[in-house]
Amino acid sequence: MTIDKDLRDAFFDELYNLAKNDPQIMFLTADMGAFGLVKFKQDFPNQYINVGIAEQNMVSIAAGLALAGKKVFIYTIIPFITQRCYEQINVDLCGMNLPVTIVGVGPGFTYASDGPTHHATQDIAIMRALPEITILNPSDAASVTAFVYIAYKNSGPTYIRLDKGKVPEIYKKTNNFSDGLTELSQGKELTIIATGNMVRRALEVAEELKKRNISIGVVDLYRIKPLNEEKILGIIDNSKRLVTLEENNIVGGIGSAISEILSDNGKNIPLKRMAIPDEHCFKSGTRESLQAFYNLDINGIIKNILGE
Amino acid sequence: MFSTATLMEDNIQKLKEKANFVRRQILEMVVAAGKGHIGGAFSCTDILVSLYYGDVLRFDSSNPNWDKRDRFILSKGHTAAALYAILSDLGYFPCTELNNFQKENCILGGHPDRKIPGIEADTGSLGHGLGIGIGLALSAKLDKKDFMTFVLMGDGECYEGSVWEAAMFASHHKLNNLVGIVDKNNLCILDFTKNCVNMEPLEDKWKSFGWDVITIDGHSFEELDSVFSKVRSRQSEKPLMIIANTIKGKGVSFMENKPEWHHSVPNQEQLEMARKELSKE
Repeated sequence: MTIDKDLRDAFFDELYNLAKNDPQIMFLTADMGAFGLVKFKQDFPNQYINVGIAEQNMVSIAAGLALAGKKVFIYTIIPFITQRCYEQINVDLCGMNLPVTIVGVGPGFTYASDGPTHHATQDIAIMRALPEITILNPSDAASVTAFVYIAYKNSGPTYIRLDKGKVPEIYKKTNNFSDGLTELSQGKELTIIATGNMVRRALEVAEELKKRNISIGVVDLYRIKPLNEEKILGIIDNSKRLVTLEENNIVGGIGSAISEILSDNGKNIPLKRMAIPDEHCFKSGTRESLQAFYNLDINGIIKNILGE
Repeated sequence: MFSTATLMEDNIQKLKEKANFVRRQILEMVVAAGKGHIGGAFSCTDILVSLYYGDVLRFDSSNPNWDKRDRFILSKGHTAAALYAILSDLGYFPCTELNNFQKENCILGGHPDRKIPGIEADTGSLGHGLGIGIGLALSAKLDKKDFMTFVLMGDGECYEGSVWEAAMFASHHKLNNLVGIVDKNNLCILDFTKNCVNMEPLEDKWKSFGWDVITIDGHSFEELDSVFSKVRSRQSEKPLMIIANTIKGKGVSFMENKPEWHHSVPNQEQLEMARKELSKE
């Protein structure tokens, strides 16, 4: 499997390319840096502002800039750019439907040992409740790059969850993401609908179960809002069982979203929601160890699927 | 020939009459709707009248999105009735809309939003307007445009932490094209601010956050004009904060300085008294 470039580099490289041709792009950070940001700041000093550790103000300023015709990207760690300033996002960005892209760094347990203040496990639930927003959760570098462009072209607010590190390639650079989801593989026994970094986990699980002659399908649900209900219903109709898989609190995540589609459409098919239980995680350790603790590692997921 | 002083007096008399008209409109709107924020609307009426009729704001009511217009944000959105009365009078939308304030299918909700011609930003949740105003002022600097941005806040609104996040940012970035106005009526919803959480010395707070601060009588058209007429010719690099001392419920004696008139609705007897008082001048 090809290992692609760092996800944050993918993000900043694409943003750099867009900003080079569009001086109306503004990038605001609440004192959160990144390697790829150094070049952006150097080359486009008038398009970069560090607003300080003041997320509420950052969102309102972004709204004002957007009202004046700017395309604004705002950036910091997920809990602070979603929960801290939720009302500003709701009123200033969504209510006025402005082209501002909220870029949240560190989905799930990215900042594992930093504790629950830094865990991003509730953001999908709350951001999903915002009417006008588009939520994009990339799973590799190609999807990160594509989503920066989609957000740039969007006339309303977008929320991108940005993971970090180098991860195996899932998509070719030419992939079309307009469906909001991709059926990466089909399976006879069960379909896993996963999002973000759990998409790779689902592929690993499918690979492992294939060795045991169990055929599993994997769907990457990268556009969490608006959901492509038609496509999802098609997948549901071709599946015997469903699993949703996310590094996210079980309340309000993609498991909830799929449940809503099942119930709204009278679909009677078993669904197992695999996610983080509804609790704050004060356990210290690596991201992998926390995932394993909550049975989101390969073994945990397989045991859960097999009912062991 | 009229002397300048006479002209000034003439203008001030016209502004006073306009303010009375606006307050009467607010009164009728709130009574017809059965709800609304009379107290705060009355305290900021003179400020709004000075901005819109005193040759301060640049605007074109026939072209609400005119690129060169000044941006005015009513951050204390709950006093929208005052702004609606003015915008309709200026021709942004028909005056008949005022009769339906907050009613079914009326564009005029209890708090302003951008679907209403002349409204720059959705407000209603306090502490957002100054940050939005900063974004507008900053864009004017970046794009070398000469429009100014005005943000009207309540003093109770200054309890919001986001106001001070914005205050710090605006002075750091030398946004001298931004004018903040605090409608300082000394009352929040339940109590006088000094009894709730004391915010004095408010002027020193803004100064220490790097703003030029001028304190005036927010019901004196002379004082309002003396500050507003110079906002475009200021040499300072700092943003300007105008602390306008006002009286909540101003214009109707039994409403003035009474916390209960934050969002009370007058009964028939009170309505008659208020109408009478607002018809005097």
